[in-house]
Amino acid sequence: MSLLRRIGTLIAKDIRLYYLNRFFAFITVMSLVFFLAAYFLLPRQQEDTTRLGYVGPALPALFEQESGGDGVFFVSFDETSALRQAILDGDIAAGVRIPSDMVERLEAGERPAVDLYASGSIPTEFRQIYALVVEELVFAWTGDTLSFEVEEEILGPDMAGQQVAPRNRMLPLLSVLILMMETLGLASLITTELTWGTLRALLVTRVGFGTLFVSKGVTGVSLAFVQAALLLAVTGGLATEPLLLISFLLAGSLLVTGIAFLVSSVSKDMLSVTGLGGLVLILLAIPGLTVLLPGLTSGWIRLIPSYYLVEPMYRVINLGASWSQVGSQLLTLVAYAAVIVAAGVWTLRRRFS
Amino acid sequence: MTSQPAILAEDLTYRYNGELAVDHIGFSVAPGEILGLLGPNGAGKSTTVQMLTGQRPPLEGRALVLGLDVAQQPKAIQARIGVCFETSNHYEQLSGADNLALFARLFDVPDFDPGLLLERVGLDSRGNDAVERYSKGMKQRLMVARSLVNRPEILFLDEPTEGLDPTSAASIRRLIEDERDRGATVFLTTHDMHEADKLCDRVAFINQGEIVALDTPHNLKQQYGQRQLRAQVVGPDGALDVRHLPLDQPDTPDAVGRLFREERVVTVHTEEATLEDIFIQLTGRGLV
Repeated sequence: MSLLRRIGTLIAKDIRLYYLNRFFAFITVMSLVFFLAAYFLLPRQQEDTTRLGYVGPALPALFEQESGGDGVFFVSFDETSALRQAILDGDIAAGVRIPSDMVERLEAGERPAVDLYASGSIPTEFRQIYALVVEELVFAWTGDTLSFEVEEEILGPDMAGQQVAPRNRMLPLLSVLILMMETLGLASLITTELTWGTLRALLVTRVGFGTLFVSKGVTGVSLAFVQAALLLAVTGGLATEPLLLISFLLAGSLLVTGIAFLVSSVSKDMLSVTGLGGLVLILLAIPGLTVLLPGLTSGWIRLIPSYYLVEPMYRVINLGASWSQVGSQLLTLVAYAAVIVAAGVWTLRRRFS
Repeated sequence: MTSQPAILAEDLTYRYNGELAVDHIGFSVAPGEILGLLGPNGAGKSTTVQMLTGQRPPLEGRALVLGLDVAQQPKAIQARIGVCFETSNHYEQLSGADNLALFARLFDVPDFDPGLLLERVGLDSRGNDAVERYSKGMKQRLMVARSLVNRPEILFLDEPTEGLDPTSAASIRRLIEDERDRGATVFLTTHDMHEADKLCDRVAFINQGEIVALDTPHNLKQQYGQRQLRAQVVGPDGALDVRHLPLDQPDTPDAVGRLFREERVVTVHTEEATLEDIFIQLTGRGLV
């Protein structure tokens, strides 16, 4: 019992010191507010339409600009110069200018030129897509139809018409970032204790290394978990499979606590904690790219432990993945966390002795 | 029948990166005794304290504290001792009272009242202030108070009065004497010879990791010190001058006679060697 009481005393002391530090208290509150604000400011729905500028004769019925449905949405301009300016201003990404005598010239066997204007910032693939749209448009005018039918095969969950909203796509990444913010706080707390010698003072009481690391670990996991769970709870992220998500958050909190141990074992002050911790934060945020830009990331990202937090959490929150579908990733995350905590404890102990 | 020593060090050795910091030292401290370990900075005092308090395992030799081996049972020893570090290491954002209460809980001290200890160190009126607002002397007094929260059987004090004003230093010395009167053993490291002379039952000189002498201050002075006669005389130009004559020598009576015959003596008194004089004599270097 006295051992548990000592651990409780150390945890209460750490949490009190954490919030007595105005910087940590401010960062903790502000990061939660900031990430919540970022979530709610992101679009609620995925934009499924593409706005394409248009200068030319009246559009065929199929391409009516008021269609408003999914697909290409035409924005008409009176002058080419106005279209060009809209692209330069970033109002639209691309536009076409079709000659007013297009149909007549086609019927006369000519090959009239159609101008495609595109912002330099859009990928080449998108320009090709816009060119195809123009071809479609011309086919509609001339009455010709495509001589083949397109058959689609959908790989993975078919999200047509129910694409994941950017805010929900970002949610797992925001959770990892908020976990890491708390990590910086814990790392700084430990570094301060090392630098000021208070850890030495603790270790000449009945407190041993084991007790000390357990208390620091519980403090770190608690600080990180509460923040991340709060973020998910407020944003409704815990609506599906809450136990599974909480398990991921706990394992993630353990992971970042281990990282805090590692960072503090090589840091001398708050500045070095922030610098080193910032680098680690960027590294851990990289797997978020697999969620934001699926298909554009490489296999090596799977080596980053936070991949096993972000990717499965994304699938649980947004695609309804279950224990059986992401269980192996949870185990991998726990294994990563255990190794990193062990390494953190070892390096901290080495630094201390 | 002799009682078991409070501290027994045998062949205690420590190296930093292969370089000897403490070189096979041995001594014992009796219960209720104040032993002072005197030496300049870097002589091995703090490393010795760290080994005796279980902070640093000896690389060779062994140390028994309260009959327990520090390498085998450091936690059992630490529960019964108090350690005052060389530099202040409080939780600066907490109050003095909260610092003491925290350590009392970690020592499992029941019904601890920080007010009583704060009063003993003269901090009762500032007990609720954050330590970061304390002066250096106040922090050091709080360090001593913290080392007393578990009513230790042995008190290890590493340079407790280093850099303090005379008033703060005197109050800490009184506390040490109070603890000795309570029955505690005190192991004190210092390079302040006056402090050691006033407080310690015995002193050990440590130099470059080796103990070069260990005895009571009186015996050390008897053994190594040179008593002398200090006379103030009026010089040929009328200005005051000082003459020193060694005492306890075969020719001392003749020398004293000559002094009174040949000089105009104004004042005369005898001087004892200081511990620093003896340290210099033994090691060829000063204590600072």
